[in-house]
Amino acid sequence: MDIVEVLYSAVRVSTPLVYAAMGGLLTYQAGMLNIALDGFMIVAAFAGIATAFATGSLELALIAAVISSVLLAALMATFTFRFKADIFIAGIAVTFLAYGLTALLLKGVLGEDGVFMSNTIPRFSPIVLPFIADIPVLGRILSGHTILVYVAYLFIPVIAFALYSTRWGLRVRMVGEAPEAAAAAGVKVTSLKFQTMLLSGALCGFGGAYLSLAYVSLFANQMTAERGLIALAAIFFAKGRPLPTALVALLFGLATALSVRLPQVTGAAPQLLQLIPYVVTVLALVIVGVRTARASNKHGAWKFALD
Amino acid sequence: MSVETLSAPTTRPYLTSLLSAVVNPIMALAIAGILGALLVMALGENPFEVYWLLISGSLAGIPNILVTLQMMTPLLFTGLAVAISFRAGLANIGAEGQMLVGALCAGIVGFAVDLPALLHVPLCIAAAFAGGMAWAAVPAFLRVKFGVNELVVCLMMNPIALLLTGYFATHVLKAPGPTNKLPDVLPSAKLSTFSFYSQVNTGLILALVLCVVLAIINARTVRGFEWKIIGLSPKFAYYGGIDVPKRALNVFLLSGGVAGLAGAEQVMGQFGAYYDNFSPGYGFDGIAVAMLAQFHPIGVIFSAFLFGALNSGSGVLQMMTGLTKHLVQVLQFIVVLVLAAKISWDWLTHFKKPSEITMRPSRSSTTSET
Amino acid sequence: MASDTSKHVVEMRNIVKRFGNFTAIHNANITIGRGEIHALVGENGAGKSTLMNVLYGLLPRTEGDVLLRGKSVHFSTPNDAIAQGIGMVHQHFKLAPSFTVAENIVLGAEPTLAMGRLNMRRAETETGELSKRFGLDLDPRAMVGSLSVGLRQRVEILKTLYRKAEVLVFDEPTAVLTPQETRELFATMRQLAQSGHSIIFITHKLREVLAVSDRISVMKQGEIVATIDNKDVTAQEIASLMVGRSVLLRVAKDEAKPGGRTMLNIRNLTALGERGENAVHKLSLSVRSGEIVGLAGVQGNGQDELVECIAGLRQPAGGKIEICDKPLGATPADNRALGLAYVPADRGGVGLSLQSSIWENMTVGHLPKFKRGQFLSIGDARARADELIKRYDVRGATLDKAAGSLSGGNQQKVQIARELSREDGSLIIAEQPSQGVDIGAIESIHRILVEMRDAGKAVFVISADLDEIFSISDRILVIYRGQIVADLKASDATQEEVGRYMGGLETPIVDTGASVKEPARVC
Repeated sequence: MDIVEVLYSAVRVSTPLVYAAMGGLLTYQAGMLNIALDGFMIVAAFAGIATAFATGSLELALIAAVISSVLLAALMATFTFRFKADIFIAGIAVTFLAYGLTALLLKGVLGEDGVFMSNTIPRFSPIVLPFIADIPVLGRILSGHTILVYVAYLFIPVIAFALYSTRWGLRVRMVGEAPEAAAAAGVKVTSLKFQTMLLSGALCGFGGAYLSLAYVSLFANQMTAERGLIALAAIFFAKGRPLPTALVALLFGLATALSVRLPQVTGAAPQLLQLIPYVVTVLALVIVGVRTARASNKHGAWKFALD
Repeated sequence: MSVETLSAPTTRPYLTSLLSAVVNPIMALAIAGILGALLVMALGENPFEVYWLLISGSLAGIPNILVTLQMMTPLLFTGLAVAISFRAGLANIGAEGQMLVGALCAGIVGFAVDLPALLHVPLCIAAAFAGGMAWAAVPAFLRVKFGVNELVVCLMMNPIALLLTGYFATHVLKAPGPTNKLPDVLPSAKLSTFSFYSQVNTGLILALVLCVVLAIINARTVRGFEWKIIGLSPKFAYYGGIDVPKRALNVFLLSGGVAGLAGAEQVMGQFGAYYDNFSPGYGFDGIAVAMLAQFHPIGVIFSAFLFGALNSGSGVLQMMTGLTKHLVQVLQFIVVLVLAAKISWDWLTHFKKPSEITMRPSRSSTTSET
Repeated sequence: MASDTSKHVVEMRNIVKRFGNFTAIHNANITIGRGEIHALVGENGAGKSTLMNVLYGLLPRTEGDVLLRGKSVHFSTPNDAIAQGIGMVHQHFKLAPSFTVAENIVLGAEPTLAMGRLNMRRAETETGELSKRFGLDLDPRAMVGSLSVGLRQRVEILKTLYRKAEVLVFDEPTAVLTPQETRELFATMRQLAQSGHSIIFITHKLREVLAVSDRISVMKQGEIVATIDNKDVTAQEIASLMVGRSVLLRVAKDEAKPGGRTMLNIRNLTALGERGENAVHKLSLSVRSGEIVGLAGVQGNGQDELVECIAGLRQPAGGKIEICDKPLGATPADNRALGLAYVPADRGGVGLSLQSSIWENMTVGHLPKFKRGQFLSIGDARARADELIKRYDVRGATLDKAAGSLSGGNQQKVQIARELSREDGSLIIAEQPSQGVDIGAIESIHRILVEMRDAGKAVFVISADLDEIFSISDRILVIYRGQIVADLKASDATQEEVGRYMGGLETPIVDTGASVKEPARVC
């Protein structure tokens, strides 16, 4: 097994996690736990591949992916804020609605059942980074990815900047920590939450498009494979700070990359290796849980409800 | 005299509240039906034709009805499982995984242990219950002990269950032959079917009995009372002397066990063996079933029948139209989304935006006047 | 004060505010002059906050006019009010603890650079300058969470000044302050008035009104019944305008006959607050059967943590608590079994399930009594609830009505009925029993507590309201910075004396010698 190759693929595998994590992080910072990231990504994956198939244009496909995902986010936000639905139940509903809808449209629009692929779909081509490609080991890991990979990693500093250096970011974080204080200062709390939800949708739109157009070139029902939830675990683990969240997402990606490569080496059953990212995620949740429980037990107040 | 008195909703008489319990689900179904029809039209099919196919395919004639009853059975278990937990304020949406693990346990005990039927069937059912409970124990424990969001853990436990059971069905205990399954359960572990037309079996009766028993527990027992209070206000329940962590853990485990029973019915009645990846998502359907039933065990019977019928009718969609059974999933989760929103009944009666109903002026005025 | 209308910064004319069928404000008229400190006084529920919320754009008015500098204005959100120079200093501070002073102050009106970038340096300098100009010393870079209550209030004030507020509404600003901090606040208010700001000071503490205001408007049952110059009036006159009942009425009761038995015994209790500080610090107290002990103290001196420890809702960090001679149990259920009856202040969060019906609310805590095997005797539970509704005169209650649909006073009665109807309850803890309760109900609640005392139970009342403490207590304890600093016989004590202890101006009766940690604070 080639370590460099595994690391190269970890960068690839982590990309959708980074998109989803950056999207989920924005709502997290605004005080909302968005469990519909998978739903956002799956509609984007479908819209992306359907548009690419119909038009042959990757640009249009990307736009369609982002728009569809933002629309779904708007639906979720409308139900949560306008109609006062429980954000978790709305998230579940939106996710499974998205799974069902994409599966239905796969048959209804593209005429396939379960999986769709076609040779006519254009692919994102790998980019050889100047200079970096020539660095011995690092070059082979970092260079040669598609544009969407680089965009994902570029979003990390952009979001960190937006959250910590702009007026908008200060307001978002205030809304997350003390919504009443923000409201009293004239900040439009619901509107900001709505915005973060839509941005969450947009980022998941990139993630979904990456999945069906760059990571692989096909669409399969429920192909997001709980990546949204894994991203959420990364967010919990890093307490919603952009760079640490991305690093945790990278670690999860590495675990997945290993699980893909290991069967060739060890001959273990594929199911067991596919378990790795999920088990790692649950373990991360356990650690987060113990950590938070310790912190809140410090003063001994009884607490049962989730925050 | 404080302001909150007046803006708080006045309690409706009993009859109206019963009516509202029924009206909300019906409105949600109507909205889902209309949106579904638009979607079907957009896909170039005739909605009336499609809905007729769904109804006739599930309800016209004894054979179809029997298939519907067969399709309804797992939904009774999973719907009940979700309803039990939600009523106590715990969102066990991991019924899918719990059902798979329950099914695996029933499947193993079903072929590996040789006992007379009188013992074998209960043992398999108990194994499935225990399996479902064990799988629910992870999110339950994390939620109750550490306050970890159970939805996320439940959703993660589902693929883990699928992969793990898949490992058993393809490697550890794989039956000889091309199919990924465990060996057939022994005849002594089979639930008897009572029809030539479908695989509907005594599991249906078990499920119905369970619904009635849980309805009685909810309405008449101390436990049922405690679960309800925990669901509405855990801190109040704890203050009032209810052992909230213990009860919550128990409810979660019970919910998981009931979901495991869905697996037992599938393995011991429907298929006769554990088949890899047998579930088309009964655990997730259970969320919609429970929501539509408003978490009432008797309501679960009706909504499981409805969604069972849709599932059973949806089989023909694939053959007769350009649609798939996923239309039903779409309808189901529109129902969930609409029911999650506090729209319907209050909108009808007050002609108001929900925000005006829920946002009481009391919050600002009473807190600052104290 | 000037009567010329043009000098009035704010004029509210014939304001009516209805919620459904209920009229909260009837035809209120008030004018605020430039540079004036105008006190708005009234009992709980008189409509002071509602009126100010109308001014501040939090609530739309049903009828009437609001004139600002002579022009009619219509604020639909606080933003509109803020933009027109109205600022509100909230009683419950609206601050984000993990952000800096400067961030909290500029929020909503942040100085920016190009591309929406925050100009934190400018925010910090401006905040610093502002705080110097008004003598409100603050470090712009300090985390709000690390500040004391008094300093946090300065942040609130600076927030309004940063937005160039000319009219400042102070909503019960002294409720959480020590007397020392209160004096500083009044100095600040005077200084603001001198620099041309108009101040509306909402309160129900008459001494403070007389100490700082120029004019006084008295509200009663949604109406402004009088507006008077400070120099023309005495506290007694304001008091009689404010209330329909006679003020400071002590509940008629006999001398306490404390029995020998100590029902609540606390020794060296230490408990941590939300930020991990010692909210309760080596506190000791006892309550005997047949007496009512009142615990007085400025909010946030450890009362909440103390009560939560007794109730089993918070784990003590040290010391011991005994209920009826037995050590405190591990859960509220155990403590109930020991004889504890607890009426919490947080009705909606702890003491009731507002969505549940009244009979269910009255049954929780009594489940063992209605247990028949595994079954719940619903018939018996409902019959008892019905009887309690009648016995405790819970108005507007029917068995199946949601508890949340009752008024505050009647919700309180549901709690009290449930807790005090326990035959085995020999220690009664009533936390803020009259908070948010209308006047008629307060008296009946106090009478019930006295009856309980006369029946030989131990009653421990925690209240932020000194009048209430004096009205019902036989013995008064004062808590300050997590310790009991005074233990006084109620008949001998004066409010002034208790007030001094509350402010930490008297030497504690028990000097533990330990350095007092950072006091508990509320935000």
